[in-house]
Amino acid sequence: MLRNAFCGGLLAASIIAGPVFAADAPAEIKLGTLYASAGRYASISMPVHYGLKLWIDQKNAEGGVFVKAFNKKIPLKLVAYDDQSNTATAATLYNQLITQDKVDVLIADSGSVLTSVAVPIARDHKMLLIDQTGTGANFFTPDNPYIALISDPVSSIWPKPLADFLTQDGPKLGIKRVAILYATNDFTGTQANAVRKFIKDANAGVDIVYDQGIPTETSNYTVLLNNIRASNPDAVIHLGYAPNDIAFLRNVQDSGIKFKFLFCIYPGLETELLEKNVGSKGLNYVFTYVPSSEISYEANFGMPLKDYADAWQKKYGNTQVEFGFNSVAGYTTGLVLEKALSVTESLDQLELRKAIFSLSGKLKTLDGTFELDQNGAQVGEITPLGQLIADGPNHVKFVTVWPHNVSTGKPVYPRP
Amino acid sequence: MFVYSLLAGLLFGLYFSLIGLGLNLVFGVMRIVNLAHGDFLMLGAFVAYWLFTLFSINPVPSVFISFAIFAVVGIPLYYLLVPRLLRGKDPEMLSFILFFGLSQVIEAVATISFGTSERSIPGGELGQAMASVESFFLGTAVDNGPVEIFGQTFPAAWIVSGFASGLAVLFVYLYLYRTRIGYLTRAVMVNREEALATGINVHRVSAIAFGVGLGLAALSGVFAPFMLGSITPAMGVDVTVTSFAVIVIGSLGRPLGTVLGGLIYGVSYMLMQSYYSSWANLLPYVLLVAILLVRPSGLLGRQVRRA
Repeated sequence: MLRNAFCGGLLAASIIAGPVFAADAPAEIKLGTLYASAGRYASISMPVHYGLKLWIDQKNAEGGVFVKAFNKKIPLKLVAYDDQSNTATAATLYNQLITQDKVDVLIADSGSVLTSVAVPIARDHKMLLIDQTGTGANFFTPDNPYIALISDPVSSIWPKPLADFLTQDGPKLGIKRVAILYATNDFTGTQANAVRKFIKDANAGVDIVYDQGIPTETSNYTVLLNNIRASNPDAVIHLGYAPNDIAFLRNVQDSGIKFKFLFCIYPGLETELLEKNVGSKGLNYVFTYVPSSEISYEANFGMPLKDYADAWQKKYGNTQVEFGFNSVAGYTTGLVLEKALSVTESLDQLELRKAIFSLSGKLKTLDGTFELDQNGAQVGEITPLGQLIADGPNHVKFVTVWPHNVSTGKPVYPRP
Repeated sequence: MFVYSLLAGLLFGLYFSLIGLGLNLVFGVMRIVNLAHGDFLMLGAFVAYWLFTLFSINPVPSVFISFAIFAVVGIPLYYLLVPRLLRGKDPEMLSFILFFGLSQVIEAVATISFGTSERSIPGGELGQAMASVESFFLGTAVDNGPVEIFGQTFPAAWIVSGFASGLAVLFVYLYLYRTRIGYLTRAVMVNREEALATGINVHRVSAIAFGVGLGLAALSGVFAPFMLGSITPAMGVDVTVTSFAVIVIGSLGRPLGTVLGGLIYGVSYMLMQSYYSSWANLLPYVLLVAILLVRPSGLLGRQVRRA
């Protein structure tokens, strides 16, 4: 009797719960984001934005994404505004996405500068910030649960392979004096702090003989190069955004200065863009990070690199937005969201966070292993050190030189 | 380090003199502030870029092509915009708004047309042009690499840019002081109403000056890929702000004062880069504030209205 009553109750509950479940499901999941169609960060923002859009279009063509909380596929609606690379505009628009558009998921613009203004806003509104590529280490603190770095490793671990190479293989090659020139923003400033610390902590007889910060807007390096040369370094590390690297490498080439070891970030991340602006001669033997757009990671979710590159070319081949590291990042954001929505119990922001954290260490995409530390900083994806070698008049190829277990060749030092 | 910074500053400053020259000419003649000046520079840069990319035309001929195109475009643009502006109660203030709007339109159209990514012309192209000229005069083959001045080595592009800036200053000087249209232009600069009363076709003179101003902006744009790293549709605003600081330092409305402003800016910037690099980009604003506090009419300000 009691068992019958229990079963009846359960049946009634499930009948009642069923319709309520469907009725509660939103007609669409609103994804709110910003992009920069113009300005200093356009070249790193647009590929990320296009990558995200590619994923959204794919999912909507399939009827939406599966959301576990509602046990059904729900179409995605993208609410996107153009911040024009302006942090003040970005701050206003982030607020608008939260308070006016009432988006379900808040996604930051690309890069640390345009993400930096979103961090406190998201936290104040108790919205989880889906941080795509804002890697500044100070964004991730134990007292802020409203952020998760999705598609890039946190800046503080980026230069580990570079520093390890300099302190372990460097002395054997004759590298004892290192010069660091960096743009003073969250992304490259954090990397400068990290590489400085790694080199000092290694105590391997490698000295930092030049260490200068410059404004991110710097576009002329001729005098700086002369000053670096005067410090007689064995290795020069330049940490800047894509426009910085373009200007820096062009100035190196035009000045006729030959550094024995030259490291820049963006020849690896936006290789196509750098090839167009600097040329293979200017990029030849430059050390850089080997990005996910160059390494075929074994993915357990989403398209593998080759398929994604083909899909990108099909969709954006006629646009002037280059395929590269950032285009992979935007798509990776989509994949992580898709997976998180498929396991989340509700669209509550902390539930969404819980769902994203539950993927840590398990999800492998074309961007590598997705792994978060307790503060939401991405620590799974790695940035091996590579060297570019000219492969034709306007093309370069990557040779991975560190860590040794993934290396594909030996470094050329000194730079001929 | 100091000598290198000083020489680099002079060359860099000459380039900014060139950038400011057109802006100051337009202000001097029409008393309007062309906030789209940097955007015309950007368009000139893209003209050079596309001529090089599509037809392999060296940037040196592009200097003349860009100047000619924008000088011609400037004349109808003047008649379209400026006379209406001058009929307003406060043309200077209205010009801020109108040309700010024009700047936004140009940037948006350029972004749609050219994309957002950085574009460049190989640095060796200007060096090649310089080497060809040197070879012609010396009769022997000359390398297109960097050039040595007083024991210091500079990119060849800087020397060509500095040389072109010097020629442009000379051109503006000859235009203003050695031609009939220049005399008339100076008359308009001194007093527009009096010039009109004496029968000068003020609009015709102003339209030509406006065209020359835009032409100079476009001409300086040709050197932008070499002096400013790369070009993008969004570069105009920063260039306008810096060139505005340059002409205020020299003195508003006095084109030749721009040279002094440019040189002061260039040398100060390079010294800042050497000794306080993190603060270097604050310089235009610091100089602007300092000059407005100490000498609001600019360093050559006393002669502004006499032209």
